[in-house]
Amino acid sequence: MGIRLYQEPQLENPILVAGWPGIGNIGIIAVDTLRGILEAEEFGEIEPWDFLYPNRVLIKKGVLEYLEFPSSKFYFKRTGGKDIIFFIGEEQPTEGGRMYAEGRKAYHMANLVLDVAEKFKCCRVYTSGAAVALTHHTAKPRVWAVPNSESLIPEIRGYGNTVLMSDIEGKGGHGNITGLNGLLLGVAKKRGFEAICLMGEIPIYLQGLPLSYPKASKSVLEVLSHSLKIEVNLDKLDELDQKVERRIEEFYQQIPSEIRGQLDRLKQVTDAQPAEPGPITEEEEKRIMEDVEKFFKKRGGGG
Amino acid sequence: MSQGYPIKIYKKPRLQSSSLVLGWSEDMSNLGRKATDYLNWKLKGQEFAEIEPEDFFPLGGVAIKGNLAQFPESKFYACREHELVVFQSGSPGAEWYKFLNSVLDVAEHHCQVKELYTIGAMVSFGAHTTPRQLLAVVNSAEMKEVLSQYDLGRDMDYQTPPGERPTLNSFLLWIAKGRNIPGVSLWVPIPFYLAAVEDAQAQKKVLSFLNERLDLKIDFSDLDQEVRDQNEQLARVRSRFPQIDDYINRLESNLMLSEEENGELIKKIEDFLREGD
Repeated sequence: MGIRLYQEPQLENPILVAGWPGIGNIGIIAVDTLRGILEAEEFGEIEPWDFLYPNRVLIKKGVLEYLEFPSSKFYFKRTGGKDIIFFIGEEQPTEGGRMYAEGRKAYHMANLVLDVAEKFKCCRVYTSGAAVALTHHTAKPRVWAVPNSESLIPEIRGYGNTVLMSDIEGKGGHGNITGLNGLLLGVAKKRGFEAICLMGEIPIYLQGLPLSYPKASKSVLEVLSHSLKIEVNLDKLDELDQKVERRIEEFYQQIPSEIRGQLDRLKQVTDAQPAEPGPITEEEEKRIMEDVEKFFKKRGGGG
Repeated sequence: MSQGYPIKIYKKPRLQSSSLVLGWSEDMSNLGRKATDYLNWKLKGQEFAEIEPEDFFPLGGVAIKGNLAQFPESKFYACREHELVVFQSGSPGAEWYKFLNSVLDVAEHHCQVKELYTIGAMVSFGAHTTPRQLLAVVNSAEMKEVLSQYDLGRDMDYQTPPGERPTLNSFLLWIAKGRNIPGVSLWVPIPFYLAAVEDAQAQKKVLSFLNERLDLKIDFSDLDQEVRDQNEQLARVRSRFPQIDDYINRLESNLMLSEEENGELIKKIEDFLREGD
């Protein structure tokens, strides 16, 4: 069990950008879109069989031709100065029917990813994911940034459309990042890598839907490309966003009007200055959450 | 054998060149468990090893089935006279690769297994009066050639549909291929209304093949009687409930039933076979 590198590219001051699927697939879409735009080259993988169950079998004329596993691949791109290594995991190695990776396997996989970062002397690690927020789907999602070192905070303060946990009302600088997108940040800290997790906001009422949320991926990519000092054309992400937006709007119209009325009030939340008291009181926030929860329970899923 | 694998060997099975037959105990129609139980009974299989459950099964309590507390078991039996190893187990819920390699470690290093056969069932939308078929998937072209002399469906084309996952049998066959162990995954399509009860015809079909292929010399008179009993019971349901007879007639004419009709047929048959008349 381990890493297979097909080649060992010479890289200059590389940074690692990693992503796994999660809520709204915000992180993985951001990372994979950037990988695609930059035409990064595949150079290795983590052998899957100890971590993941196969996802496809092909039988031809009665002969088992091959068994395919979810991929966990490394790519590289030379950018002239700060090169990039991408890691994209198609699936998180979950155990016991849980939704996100945790425990021994997750820790092992995070360490394997960082083994590659160490081998190529990466100077920084980025991960990405979703921030479930009291926000509306018509608003531009902000990016919540969580660094693993105090020294990164001034840099993050300079990013546009980005907040720290201490800027989020009611969070007091605390929170939790579930799964490998979060765990990698912690393991990186343990092993002495500086790392930042960039999380795109997804409205609380969309978190349980089987839909991606490319609008938030775009916000993440804007921050990431600024931080990496590279220019990227995000037109493809806009196209995807428009398609998803139509489906979200259809879903939104199915929500009973009294709950929708409450949710409409969220349009104002993200317009507020992050550190100022929001236009929705704590009591109203609680009521919105309860209404949304009731709606999803009645629908028999989601949430 | 790989280090750290949770295998317990009670006694050496003393086999020279054996075959492994594997059945999962929570299979459709209990086919895997019934077929492996039958082999052990008829061929005097002796338990000689097991795989410890803690890495592979959720152990947060016990399930209760038929008034009894259950516990996951993964056991090996040796039928020495016939150079046969039988493995019967619940389906693991974690560490599948390690589990399946453990099975092959015991087979290869303690039993000199030269080929393996897995037993599985799949849903058929045909009637129970249609003779059962046996389909085979192999992990090498050579094995396919070997099977050409048997009455098997050997030309299956299949690709996992989106949202579904390959079976453990396919996973095992793939690992066996990597270890150069020829393997066959045997599949019996079972009428959908017998999926939750036992199907003696399906058992007979898969066991007859194994009997012929492995030269086991089993006398099937008792199983033949079970097949006759099952057919008689199903004939009685049809004569007692005209609606059920109509549904089965339609299936016999290759017509599809509605979802509601399927549900009614399943319930009536299951109730009747479980409670008897």
